[in-house]
Amino acid sequence: MSHIDPEVLALIALGEEAEGPDARAHLARCPHCAHELRALVSVVTVAQQAGDSGALESPPPALWSRVAAHPDVRAGQGPTMAGGHEPGPEPGGAAGLRRRRPAWRRPAAAAVVGVVAGLIIGAGGAAIIHIGQQQAPVIHVMGTSALRPLPQFPQWQAASGSAVMQTSPAGLRLRVTVEAPSGPGFFEVWLLARNGVSMISLGDLNRRHTGEFTVPPGTDLHNYSRIDVSLQPFNGSTAHSRISVVRGALPS
Amino acid sequence: MIGRKDSAAEDAAGPGGAVTAAVMERSSDGDLAAVFQKGRPEALALAYERYGALVYTIARRSLGEAADAEDVTQQVFVSAWRGRDSFDPERGGLAAWLTAITRNKVTDVFRSRQREAGALRAAVGQQAASGQATAVDQVIDRVVLSDELARLGEPQRLIITLAFYTDLTHDQIARTLRLPVGTVKSHIRRSLLRLRTRLEADGVSH
Repeated sequence: MSHIDPEVLALIALGEEAEGPDARAHLARCPHCAHELRALVSVVTVAQQAGDSGALESPPPALWSRVAAHPDVRAGQGPTMAGGHEPGPEPGGAAGLRRRRPAWRRPAAAAVVGVVAGLIIGAGGAAIIHIGQQQAPVIHVMGTSALRPLPQFPQWQAASGSAVMQTSPAGLRLRVTVEAPSGPGFFEVWLLARNGVSMISLGDLNRRHTGEFTVPPGTDLHNYSRIDVSLQPFNGSTAHSRISVVRGALPS
Repeated sequence: MIGRKDSAAEDAAGPGGAVTAAVMERSSDGDLAAVFQKGRPEALALAYERYGALVYTIARRSLGEAADAEDVTQQVFVSAWRGRDSFDPERGGLAAWLTAITRNKVTDVFRSRQREAGALRAAVGQQAASGQATAVDQVIDRVVLSDELARLGEPQRLIITLAFYTDLTHDQIARTLRLPVGTVKSHIRRSLLRLRTRLEADGVSH
């Protein structure tokens, strides 16, 4: 006997009427289909109990600092973590940068990068690439930071975001994710200088509000130490719209 | 303009609820687990970015009090880090491990609340404790499911949401969204399977 079409089984689990008496008769005598149906029904049940307003709650921003500051965490992690990831309004870009360069030149990472650099040129975009016997990821995550809305833009108070800095054979890569409702326009990612005025555009976020960008080689990251995400209207202007959705420190 | 239009192609990391969703690709779950176990410095931060909301939401919905949920969340990540040597990525993912630790910490809070409630009610307390454990398990399953739902791409998430929470049948959903019926059916099946796989991996009542 042939089993019930898996797509039909899924619809039955959702409460749709089975097409014809055949399916019902089959279910009564086929343990396999009955088992599958039970499993799917339990998924549907959990989903309906969870409700459609079941979105996860983010922990309050300060909580990460409490985790990072815990003695066991500090002891286990060394200096990179102790200060580097704490989300704060204006984390010290300079301190972060002093750590950034040595990490990039760390012998192990550099060796891996050297071995494979020639192999993956042109393969850009992959987050983590394993080559042959090498177990270490070619792309090394250097740090993450949280992006937060600014008080002067109350319309974005529910927005949040994160940034991950990675080293890759091609240079520094910055991954940015923003959680915000879509607005009339598109999101653009900028590096913001300490003077709060000068900016370098890295590029636009995609439909899922994420993007991965090459940090232009030679950028003075001591000066361009912050990330800004703007909402840009479709007006053809390449200048920053002056509407900042979220902002945060460049991860170190 | 320097380096514009350099966005990488995206895959399964959905746009949904948690900030955690797209910090790393779905496909690098195993990599995160591996660097975590090895004690790589950035691993805890990444694990927190990715699963902080999961842990916090389970704690918050089980315990009610935000302050208790914050304490539990801190304890979970600190214990996970402290015990990373005992974490075996072969046996289950990082999310499943963190969920199990969360469950223990939440249960600890219930016990201490009962102690505070006094010995007079100890007998009733025993019964209440087992009821609470069941309730925690239900919360975990619901939160894990919501998390996976948020990680579905579009239109999958919209389709399955309509299937779950409205009375629309699959062909009504297809008409509403102007999608072929076959597409809707296949998305429904695949999304259900994906949710089932995640629940079986990280949930507790399966």
